[in-house]
Amino acid sequence: MQVDFGAKELTVKLVYYGPALSGKTTNLRAIHWLAASDTRGELMTLETQNDRTLFFDMLPITVSSKSGLKVRLKLFTVPGQVMHNTTRRLVLQAADGVAFVADSQRSEDEANRESFANLKENLSEIGINPEQIPIVIQFNKRDLEGIRTDDELEQIAARSRAPIYKAVATRGYGVVQTLLGLVRETWSNLEDEHELEEKFGINPSRLMMEIESTLKHDPRKRGR
Amino acid sequence: MMHDDTHAADLLMGDVVRLEDVLSRDAVTTVCKSFFALFGLPVRVISCEGDLLADVHQDRSLCRYLNTLGGGERACAKTVSAVRDVEPTDQAIVHPCFTGAVYRIAPLTYQGRSIGRFIMGPYVPATTKSPPSSLTLVDPAIDAKKALAHFEVMPRVRDDVAQKLSTHLQGVLELLVFSGHRTQLASTMQIANVRENYRELAEKNERLKVSFEKLKELDKLKSSFLATVSHELRTPLTSIIGYAEMLESGAAGALSDGQAEFLQTIRGKADQLLGLISSLLDLGQLEADSLKLNKTAVDARALLSDVGSTVVPAANRNNINLEINVAADTPRVHGDPVRLRQIIVNLADNAVKFTPEGGEIELSAEPGTLNTGLAEGLEAQLFPSTQSAVVLTVRDTGQGIAEDKLARIFDAFYQIDGGTTREHGGAGLGLSIVKQLVDGHDGKIEVTSEVDQGTVFVIKLPAADDDA
Repeated sequence: MQVDFGAKELTVKLVYYGPALSGKTTNLRAIHWLAASDTRGELMTLETQNDRTLFFDMLPITVSSKSGLKVRLKLFTVPGQVMHNTTRRLVLQAADGVAFVADSQRSEDEANRESFANLKENLSEIGINPEQIPIVIQFNKRDLEGIRTDDELEQIAARSRAPIYKAVATRGYGVVQTLLGLVRETWSNLEDEHELEEKFGINPSRLMMEIESTLKHDPRKRGR
Repeated sequence: MMHDDTHAADLLMGDVVRLEDVLSRDAVTTVCKSFFALFGLPVRVISCEGDLLADVHQDRSLCRYLNTLGGGERACAKTVSAVRDVEPTDQAIVHPCFTGAVYRIAPLTYQGRSIGRFIMGPYVPATTKSPPSSLTLVDPAIDAKKALAHFEVMPRVRDDVAQKLSTHLQGVLELLVFSGHRTQLASTMQIANVRENYRELAEKNERLKVSFEKLKELDKLKSSFLATVSHELRTPLTSIIGYAEMLESGAAGALSDGQAEFLQTIRGKADQLLGLISSLLDLGQLEADSLKLNKTAVDARALLSDVGSTVVPAANRNNINLEINVAADTPRVHGDPVRLRQIIVNLADNAVKFTPEGGEIELSAEPGTLNTGLAEGLEAQLFPSTQSAVVLTVRDTGQGIAEDKLARIFDAFYQIDGGTTREHGGAGLGLSIVKQLVDGHDGKIEVTSEVDQGTVFVIKLPAADDDA
C-alpha cells in the first residue's frame, strides 16, 4: 500500500495469480468492461503475439470516496506459464492482496496445485507471509464440462481460510464478487495494520458500498 | 530477498513517475504541429514540474503589434506567465487575455493522477466581436483602429468547438502517455527480470562451486585413502607370499603332494590379490598426480613381444590366435617401459578375457602423428600442430562393447555389466589406469567397437626425440 497524505490518496495493489490460461486476464477485461468509465483507466496488457501475458496486465481503478479520500486500486495479473517465475515474483512485490484464479476443470487440478505452491513460495521469497496476506480463491470456467462440482467447492470452502468464489470470467459472472471479496479482505487487513478509519476517517462498510457501486455499473446504460 | 533500485515502489505499483519519462518531446511536438496545421490553434504542453514539453505557436499580428509597445509587451508577458501558472485539476479552465482573446488550459491526468496540462490558444471566442475598450489603456500609443484590424484576423472558435478540440487533444496526449508508460514498464520490467535472473544464476553458481569444491576434497580424501589402504594391505601380503614361497622351496621341510598343491593355490590367489592391490595403489597415485614416470626411448617391437609372451599361455588355453605386427619404420616410444608394458598387458589381458575360443588378437605398432595443443574445433583444423608418434593397436574379435557404454569404460570401477566381474574377475580398474597412464605420457587412447565383432584400442604415444 502507498499513502500520499498530501493528496489524501491511498493506492492498494491487488494481484491476480494462477496457472496459465486460468482466466486472469479475462477477469481484468471483464472488470474493465463493468467498471464505470470515469473510475477506471485503460487496461494495459503486455503480451506476446499469441495473446499470452508476457509481463503483466494492469488495470487501475480510482474510487473517490465521499470522505475525501481517493482510493486507487491497482489490479495486476501475472504471467501463468512456468518459465516466467521471475516476472511473477517481481509483480507480486508489495502486493496487498491476491486473487488466485483456479481452473475448475479436474484436468487442471495439478496445474492449480503447482501454481498455488509457487505463489506461496514466491511470497515467502519476497518476504511476505503467505499465511497472513489476504487471499481469495476464484474457481473459474464454471460453464465447462468435467469441472469440480459445487458440492466439492463447498467442502473446499468449509476447510479453507480463503473465501471461495465461482466464476465464468468470459461472461463476467462472479468477477465483481471476487474483486469485492478481495478488496474486503485486503481492506480489513490494512485496517488492522494501519488503522485507516482513525487516520482517514473512512468507514470501511461505506467505502465497500462506494466501490461496489463503481463496479456494478451496467455498461449497457453507458452513454445515457 | 530481491534488491531493486529502479524507482522500485513506483514500478511495482505501475505508476508514471514523471511526464518527461514517458512522453517523447518529438512525438508530442509532432502531434501539436499537426493540430496547429489543422485548426490554427497554438498548443503548449507542460509537465507537473513546469517543464515545457512542446510549444507550437506563431505570433499573431495583434500580438506582434502590441509587443512593439512597452505597455503591450509588459501586459503580454504578464498574461503568458499567469496562463502558465494555471493548474486545472478536473476540468479545463478558460483564462482571458487583455486583448479579448482567451487561452484554454486543460489538465492531463493518468490513472486518476494529474501529470501535467496543455494550453490551447490564444484564440478569440466566436461571440466576441471586438477587443475590450480597456485594451487602449494598456499603452497610450495603441491605435484602436489598427488594433481592431489585427483583432479581426485572429482565429475564432465557438465555445462548444473549443471544448471538443481540447477534449480530442487531451485524449490523444493521454493515449501517448499510456503508450509511453506501457513501453517504459515493459523495458523496466525486462531490466528487473535480467537483474533478478542474473542474481539467481550467480547464487546457483556459488552453491555449485561450493559443492564442487567439497566433492573435489572428498575425491582427494578417497584417493589418499586408497593409497594408504593399498599400501597397508600390500605389506602383510608380501609376507604371506614370501613365507608361502619359503614353504614351497622346502625351507621348513619336505611337503606332501597335497600340501604343495594347497600352497600353490595360496600363492596363486595371493598373487592375484597383489595385482589388485597394486592397481589400487597405481590409481591412487595417478589420481593424486604423484606417479613418477621414468621415460626413455622404448622399442615397440620389444615391448609388444614381451607382452605377447606374457599373454600367450592364456591365449593358447582358449585356442586364440595371437599375432604381433610391427611396421619396419616404427620409431621408439618416449615413455616409461614398465608403465608402457602395464598399458599393453592390461589391454591384451582384456582382449584374451573377452574373446571367445577360436578368435584372434592382434598387437601392432606403426608410425603416426599426434595432435598437440588444441584438441578439437575449427582452430585445430586450421592451425594443426602435430608431432611424430607411435600408434599401438590392440585388436580382438571378441564380444565387443555396446555404443552407449563406450563413453564410460575408462571410468574407475566401471564394469560394463555387473555380470562381467563375476564371470571374468577384475575390479574395473584396468582401463581407468590405462587411460591415466596414457594421459601421463601425453598420449591419446581411442576405442572403437562393434558388438559380437570385436574391439580396437588405438593408443598414440609421442615418439622418442632421437627417432622423431
